[in-house]
Amino acid sequence: MEIPYYPGCTLKVKATALEQSTVAAFAALNVSLKELPRWTCCGAVYPLMGTRIAGLAAPIRILREAKLMGSDTMVTACAFCFNVLKRANRDIAADPLCKRRINAYLADDVRVDEATNEKIMQWPEYAGEDDVKVLHLLELLRDRVGFGKLSAAVKKPLRGLRVAPYYGCTLLRPKEIALDDPEQPVIMHDLLRSLGAEPVDFPFLNECCASFLSLAKPETALRPSYQIVSSAEAEGAQVLAVTCPLCYYNMESRQSEIREQYPDFKGMPVFYFTELLALALGVSLDQAIGWKDHTVEVRGLLESVGLRDRDK
Amino acid sequence: MRVDLSSDEIRSSLVAEIEELCGQDVLKCYQCGRCSAGCPIVEEMDLLPNQVSRLIQLGLEQEVLNSKTVWLCVSCFMCQSRCPQGVDLPTLMDSLRYLATKRGYDRFGPNEIDRETIMRAPQQGVVSAYRKLSS
Amino acid sequence: MKRIGVFVCHCGINIAGTVDVQRVVDALSSYPGVVHAQDYIFVCSEPGQALIRETIKSKQLDSVVVAACSASLHEGTFRGVAKDAGLNPYQCEMANIREQCSWVHQEEKGLATQKAVRIVRSIVEAVRLNKDLQPIRVPVTRRAVVIGGGIAGIQAALDIADAGHEVLLVEKNPSIGGRMIQLSETFPTLDCSQCILTPKMVAVSRHPKIKVLTYHEVVDMSGYVGNFKVKLLKKPRYVKEGTCNLCNKCLDVCPVVVPSEFDAGLAWRKAIYLPFPQAVPSVYTLDERVCLGLDPLRCGKCSEVCAPKAIDYNMREEVFEVEAGAVVVATGFDLYPMSKLGEYGGEKYEDVISGLEFERILSASGPTKGQVRRPSDGKEPKEVVFIQCAGSRDPENHKPYCSKICCMYTAKHAMLYKHRVHDGNAHVFYIDVRTPGKDFEEFYQRAVEEDRVNYVRGKVSKVFKQGDKIVVWGADTLSGKKVEVKADLVVLALPLVPAAGAEELFKKLRLSTNKHGFLQEAHPKLRPVEHPNSGFYLAGVAQGPKDIPEAVAQASGAASKVAALFSGVELLREPTIAEVVDELCDGCAFCVDPCPVQAITLVEYIRDGELKKTVKVNEALCMGCGVCMATCPKKGIAVRNFTTDRFLSMVDAMLTD
Repeated sequence: MEIPYYPGCTLKVKATALEQSTVAAFAALNVSLKELPRWTCCGAVYPLMGTRIAGLAAPIRILREAKLMGSDTMVTACAFCFNVLKRANRDIAADPLCKRRINAYLADDVRVDEATNEKIMQWPEYAGEDDVKVLHLLELLRDRVGFGKLSAAVKKPLRGLRVAPYYGCTLLRPKEIALDDPEQPVIMHDLLRSLGAEPVDFPFLNECCASFLSLAKPETALRPSYQIVSSAEAEGAQVLAVTCPLCYYNMESRQSEIREQYPDFKGMPVFYFTELLALALGVSLDQAIGWKDHTVEVRGLLESVGLRDRDK
Repeated sequence: MRVDLSSDEIRSSLVAEIEELCGQDVLKCYQCGRCSAGCPIVEEMDLLPNQVSRLIQLGLEQEVLNSKTVWLCVSCFMCQSRCPQGVDLPTLMDSLRYLATKRGYDRFGPNEIDRETIMRAPQQGVVSAYRKLSS
Repeated sequence: MKRIGVFVCHCGINIAGTVDVQRVVDALSSYPGVVHAQDYIFVCSEPGQALIRETIKSKQLDSVVVAACSASLHEGTFRGVAKDAGLNPYQCEMANIREQCSWVHQEEKGLATQKAVRIVRSIVEAVRLNKDLQPIRVPVTRRAVVIGGGIAGIQAALDIADAGHEVLLVEKNPSIGGRMIQLSETFPTLDCSQCILTPKMVAVSRHPKIKVLTYHEVVDMSGYVGNFKVKLLKKPRYVKEGTCNLCNKCLDVCPVVVPSEFDAGLAWRKAIYLPFPQAVPSVYTLDERVCLGLDPLRCGKCSEVCAPKAIDYNMREEVFEVEAGAVVVATGFDLYPMSKLGEYGGEKYEDVISGLEFERILSASGPTKGQVRRPSDGKEPKEVVFIQCAGSRDPENHKPYCSKICCMYTAKHAMLYKHRVHDGNAHVFYIDVRTPGKDFEEFYQRAVEEDRVNYVRGKVSKVFKQGDKIVVWGADTLSGKKVEVKADLVVLALPLVPAAGAEELFKKLRLSTNKHGFLQEAHPKLRPVEHPNSGFYLAGVAQGPKDIPEAVAQASGAASKVAALFSGVELLREPTIAEVVDELCDGCAFCVDPCPVQAITLVEYIRDGELKKTVKVNEALCMGCGVCMATCPKKGIAVRNFTTDRFLSMVDAMLTD
């Protein structure tokens, strides 16, 4: 299976762990993620008010690239991008005036043919969901690969590792684009189970981690992350699995700051779910784990569940 | 000072402006308070989200555009997803930030984010913070 | 040549404000067949009716057209007037120049007037072809079937029986009693629910005119008002009523244990069981869905220990038909499933319960003998949170309507809790407190002032478990503070929804409902106890959320309608139904299948030595809908006074300038 893939800016610089493990894991599943030849930042947030032409231009341009690749689906690994792309996709399909405007705006775009070096200014009309569907990696795993097949492909089962699946906001809200039930999602629980881990349900799995407030008001933003990780702890989880680089930053990279403000905070290792996925599929430890991104020690934990490189 | 509900102030421009900016009919809100109950940042806010909605309904522009609340919303959509009337509060907040900026109210700007944080944080955080705070 | 009179109503300014009634009168005065035309301000008033009556006599009119409002409002009025004046009532027709003209063309007065003229002319043409008709007389079966044995069904049954008529009270569960028998105390009196209901249950079981058919279901119905045929299914109890002496020995030996429906899942029952001690009828029931096998080889223990030999594994389902003249539908309600409220934990948390479960906890005959204990560990809860509008008033995610009784029963729950746990705290999270009934407001204030229940105005966003507490996230909108309660027990006021199985039953009986599945009334203001389908009456929550006093009042209202129906010697039916035109019908039978009430049958007979095929209409069933006319290629069947020719002349009149 080959599918167009949109990484987004963060995955290339600050969340390399997410991209690296994603590519390795899906290669192990014989799914080739073909990165879009031309792409830009999707804008990170969905434009909520006004005529929104500028805000929609970026995501629609990205989706148009996937259409140019001849595909009717595009997958993304970043939860923020998923939210923006999927919302843009639906809104443009639902509003004919918006569709006309954005397509008119983007008609002035130029691309260069790699082979001939010619400038091309012809673009197909992009109609929204009917042209290209946006999938998140989790949906790809559930709907195109199948958790059954995934289970069968697992080489190093996670031996009952107690993982708290943290869904966050952008995959579940607003409900029109949710990839699962917004209050009682199960997709990541099911994924973890098929990898041999034990998903730990916890009440804060869909509460917001404070998002970009950790940049605007760093001290204020610690409380939500503290509550989420503590809740997972209270339910007996050993690790937290996340889908989004900003959640990772808030709940992993800032754990020492959380401890400063909340002395009773124990903290725990946080992984991108794709790191666990890659591990279970037999990808080598160095390919699966983005060591430099983990401020919280993880080697000990991985060894305790028998996950170590045969070569080492 | 009593708010004069019969004057032209009330429900004059603010409700209509909001509706034009973002298509939200604020009058749908029946003040159940569920948004405030579930907001992750509410403990930091001066006005509760349902109070923001109420002040718009009463047209009390100054009080609502002066608040810290509108600058703390992170658009997590928890309020909208549980609101019994489907009021889109995050969009309302975006519109209020836009009006606050346009009308010169005191606000938190992206320039206040320190350089070290910008270098350390994931770009999606930087881009989203900049966009949301510089409406 | 007919002598037609035209009366054009002003209806105050409703018609005259838009339509120039004088011009309509003038236009019709010179129309062929019209010998009298005049206008009047309110034709439906007494003087207006007198005017028509007098004019019929003085001008020897033989037919009348009243140009006014919709026939659905006043056709009866004017046909009555025509009859009083000596005409056949079917020679009177109404022309709708209000709902279909003046009210919808208020901006275009000139065009509206022209349209009114055309409408009236078309009805004059219609009346010209009208024949005299006589109502069809049908006998009435003076027996009522009441579907549902809750308080509403019980009350309706008692009232109809007291009026002297036979009643079959059909209940799908093993005992009557419905929801009311599950309650502990009722608002606003705090009467013990079972104490006030059981006398009525006994009365119903003893009444010579009432047959209580429990463990029965209605499976189908046919017929029409006064003459229904109701097919009933008797489910096998496997225990002989009258023989079973309630010795309880079977309970000791039955190996199957399942959650008890009566105790809302908080306690257990066996496969063979009595739902509750005061059950009517007083006989055990063996639930074959959970029994090990109804077979001595598989188990058979209950039969072994039954001294009176009341257990009979050979019982089978029985289907039989009864005749009835009227049906009262009182099928009651269920609660909206908690699993749909993920933000309150779905059904994950044992200590987040529904109002009905709390009733069972409070009930002296319940699983905790009336002591307030929480399901998870049996401890007495010291902090209890009651969440109102847990799904109601939520058009976006759950049910848009208000379930009417929750504000009152929540106040009651909080009060009863405080009466039993003096050092406990009760918090009620509300959006509004609705106390519309008699003594209701005082009841609620008693909860706040005397029992110190803490009312917080704010809808709860989320509820989750932390250790052995349930944390409740709310906000006090009145003081502007976010609040949190670490509760021991949380009680949800869930929406009322129509009872399980009601949707299928209503479809079978062709009873229309609103979009939430509650039965429709014939008129929301003026006819609240009748369904638009003749012969069906409504009682209880099946028609919409309501409390016990309202359910009883509605049931008595339905019963009085049934008594009125049964009071006449015979029923009169509208004669405007289908009639076969023998010369034209050739028995092609295209009309047979499309008929929605299966009133048409194909018949064959010999005439003049030849086989003649034709169709026959069952005048008792036909509703006069006209579908048969639409399917007939030969004009061989027509609804009386609604023939194709009549329609064509009406159309011609409308299109002529």
